[in-house]
Amino acid sequence: MSDATRNARSLDDRAHLDAKRAKAWGHIIFNALLALLFAFMFVRAGDLPSSMWEPMGAGTFPRIVLALLVVFNLMIIIKELPDIKQTSALSQGAVGDWLKQHRLAFGVLILFGLMTAAVPIVGFRWASLPFLIGCQYLLGARSAKALIIAVVIAVALSFGLESLFRHVFTISLPRGMWG
Amino acid sequence: MLEAILSGADQLFTFTTLLTMLVGVTVGVIAAAIPGFTITMAIVLTLPLTFTMPPLQGVATMLAVYIGGYTGGMISAALLGIPGTPSAVATTFDAFPMARNGEPGRALAIGIWASFFGTLISTLVLIAAAPPLALIAVKLGAWEYFSLVIFALTIVASLVGRSMVRGLMAGMLGLLIATVGADPLMGVTRFTFDLKVLSAGIPFLVVLIGIYAVSQLLKEVENPDQVQKGRELITGRIEFHPFAALREVLMNPINLLRSSMVGVFIGAVPGAGGSIANLLAYDQAKRGSRHPEEFGKGSSEGVIASESGNSATSGGGLIPMIALGIPGSAVDAVLMAALMVHGIGVGPRLIMDHADTVYGMFMAMFVAGAMMLVVCLLSMRLFLKVTSIPKSVIVPVVLTCCLVGAFTLNNRVTDIYLLLGIGIVGYIMTKLDYPLAPLVLGVILGPIAETNLRRALMTNEDWTLFFTRPISAVLLGLAVISIVLAIRYHLRQNRLQSGEG
Repeated sequence: MSDATRNARSLDDRAHLDAKRAKAWGHIIFNALLALLFAFMFVRAGDLPSSMWEPMGAGTFPRIVLALLVVFNLMIIIKELPDIKQTSALSQGAVGDWLKQHRLAFGVLILFGLMTAAVPIVGFRWASLPFLIGCQYLLGARSAKALIIAVVIAVALSFGLESLFRHVFTISLPRGMWG
Repeated sequence: MLEAILSGADQLFTFTTLLTMLVGVTVGVIAAAIPGFTITMAIVLTLPLTFTMPPLQGVATMLAVYIGGYTGGMISAALLGIPGTPSAVATTFDAFPMARNGEPGRALAIGIWASFFGTLISTLVLIAAAPPLALIAVKLGAWEYFSLVIFALTIVASLVGRSMVRGLMAGMLGLLIATVGADPLMGVTRFTFDLKVLSAGIPFLVVLIGIYAVSQLLKEVENPDQVQKGRELITGRIEFHPFAALREVLMNPINLLRSSMVGVFIGAVPGAGGSIANLLAYDQAKRGSRHPEEFGKGSSEGVIASESGNSATSGGGLIPMIALGIPGSAVDAVLMAALMVHGIGVGPRLIMDHADTVYGMFMAMFVAGAMMLVVCLLSMRLFLKVTSIPKSVIVPVVLTCCLVGAFTLNNRVTDIYLLLGIGIVGYIMTKLDYPLAPLVLGVILGPIAETNLRRALMTNEDWTLFFTRPISAVLLGLAVISIVLAIRYHLRQNRLQSGEG
């Protein structure tokens, strides 16, 4: 086996171990936060009114579900602990690499969040138009031809969908401050 | 019964209904042919467009998208080696090698015919099985219904994903989401924390769009290297010989029938759908074949098995929905929601109270199957173009449609905030390998479970009735068995993996 092959394999192994450890931490943090939230909701559900017509009040069913959820959260945390013990600390730059790898997903999510926030303010048409152009650009529409197509798609979809719903389905999409 | 059939036919065979169905089939084929665009997404995005239609027209249009979608997934599977939808994974095993061997037209034509026969067989089983099952189901009490929901959730949790605990957690999370908003019996507001966005509860369809569309689309753009234009691996002229392909499919009657029945059965099990059926049908076909060595190298038997298996889940999934009011998959849940939007209560009484709609749905399955056949055979070359639409176009367009879909459900801006939040939660869950199907089914089954549990205890406070009433006890017993079997399976898999390690 050549040194290059050995190096590549060890890099793969390292990346695999990093992914395993990161996922284990992800499960632990996610489930710990959920367990806290569910415990809080369990307590709140105790205040929900009961009824004289039925043995179960409004809070009983949610409390059963919440109790089971906390049990499952703890089971998942316990199941993931060995993976933390078996793996060493994340290699330097692992988090940065992960963020870099997911940059497009986060970029799309941010743009989608901005559109969602903008819809009630500027209306569907003017919120979706920059989203559609920006998102296509982010995902690779960089050449002049691709950008022209992106603009055409954006205009057709933002104005077209609004018009379709308004005139054909008689459903008015948000029109914002210009409504 | 004859009156209901005639009434259903009268509603179905109108120009507008047939036209919207034709559009639905075409849209389904195109949408599913695009890698990353699932049938569920197509169905979810179709729903708002059906609000203004009469109930049967709306549901028939959605069924048309559904049936078209199962065939569309095959196009990119055969020509690009990328399954357009998860239900076409096994199709890549043989259709793609067949296409690479210079017979792309044969691969597509066999797939289309197999899909058509799969749909046909599953519809016949649906017609035979749903009405008698519904007659039994109306006799079930609140105890049995609650146990049925528990059984459905344990089956889903144990079938999907790599960890049963995570599956159960996702299912329970779905049940919890369903409790937000007004209590089903007393009308008391729960878990809204005085937030306007939660005051009306979390609508099931917003959860479905957020979980299945938004989070999946984000996953699609995770790898920057792969976010590029789809590459056509098959070039040159595609020759179609539909009648030769029909003969080839009909020369495999046992394979066709067995694969279709596998699809019907898997479709009827809550949570299991086309994605499992195509693999299972393929596996069974390989085991039963005289030439198993040809599988994976372009065997027509493999294409027939996979395509008839996944298409047959369409009819199978409708059996529990029509007979019991329990959706077999996310797509069936959307169909159920479509009926509910039109004020039609879904449950065992559906077939008695709205027999015309149900028989109309049965006929719509046949009509959609026939339309799919004609549309695909006549326009396959045009559909091939859609496989090369880049993700840079698909992702923003579909996300925009998701936002419109979420808003138009109730004309509430707060629903689009919920969509964003649920999309983020769904994405986190996907990254951590949580199965999403139990969550979605939990949301729709939550109110059914709670209402029946509380009704049962209002009727009689004795908890033991859940274990002493025979059908309820059997269903709970089956739930326990499904958990035990799943634990056994996972332990065996872990042992095998550690052995290999």
